[in-house]
Amino acid sequence: MTLLQAVKNFVRSKSIHVCYVDVGSCNGCDIEVLACLSPRYDIEQYGIYVHNNPREADILLVIGAFTPGWEDKLRMIWEKIPDPKAAIAIGNCPISGCLFDRPHTLIDPPAAKHIPIAAQVPGCPPRPTEIISAVLSVAPLVFRDYEVAKR
Amino acid sequence: MALPFTAYMKEIFRVQWLGTFLFAKTAPLVTPSYSRGFPELTGKTCTHALFCMMACPAPGAIHVIRTPDGWEPRINSGHCIRCGLCVEACPNGVLASGRILESMFYDSTRLSFSFRIDVDTSLCMGCGNCAVACPVNKLIDTQMAYGGRASTDELLLRVNEGKCTVLHAEKCTGCKTCEDHCPNGAIRVARLLEAVHIPEEEV
Repeated sequence: MTLLQAVKNFVRSKSIHVCYVDVGSCNGCDIEVLACLSPRYDIEQYGIYVHNNPREADILLVIGAFTPGWEDKLRMIWEKIPDPKAAIAIGNCPISGCLFDRPHTLIDPPAAKHIPIAAQVPGCPPRPTEIISAVLSVAPLVFRDYEVAKR
Repeated sequence: MALPFTAYMKEIFRVQWLGTFLFAKTAPLVTPSYSRGFPELTGKTCTHALFCMMACPAPGAIHVIRTPDGWEPRINSGHCIRCGLCVEACPNGVLASGRILESMFYDSTRLSFSFRIDVDTSLCMGCGNCAVACPVNKLIDTQMAYGGRASTDELLLRVNEGKCTVLHAEKCTGCKTCEDHCPNGAIRVARLLEAVHIPEEEV
């Protein structure tokens, strides 16, 4: 591994840019993601920055049970994120549909059917600590030696 | 008299200040002990009452499965919403989550299940499928034949004068097997879940 690659690995693990997208949730998980920004949890001290712009992001937080309106739009957002990238499913809804996964509902879970999901955070909603530790543990694994793996 | 430049630098770059500036970390990423997490097994014996599955609001979150050691509830973490109703509904305290069991003990509260069987006599044709399918009946009278006729009155259900009659509703376990086997949809089992408070002198 070259020195340049080592520097890239270190920087990518210490500066993680996050974009979150709500594909039809009840807002409970959105509130928990926003609670990560609050002084109590303060994700910027861990080097995680929240942009709502996929072109600036490394990690996409997918929230919600995938309603029909997001059929091609989630894929579009995912393709706009520059490599290296990863998606994390936040909450039960993108994993299983949770309470909404009943007959005669229009949702289409899991989110892994639509975009590749690197990690899942179960909970309804998950605690902010769980969200932060998921982002912190997934990002270095996914971004490690990205250029070497691509070659 | 102005202080020398090094004095200012010494004031600014104190070891304590540098430590705070470079390694500042507030609340560590730990879950507090009172947090209501996913239910965990306490090691008590599960009696397969299935009240946890009946109380659970999330589809597919809890299943009681058979292991070589007996029955055991399993939580599916992608489905569980951590409401703790299974912990409260369990009559044996098999599951634990956060401080639910302690607060139930101090407040003398519990969730109690009761079951009510309603038979629509205008739809019932007295085939006896419900009485034969009922697992409680099967334990009481193993010889019960088709048609729901039996010699004993200790049964939960039996066919009497061409109609299904409920003899001992208190024996019902709420499994709804009779509902599944009724060809007309004449029998309905209602599961009543209520929170009850038991004062200490009555315990």
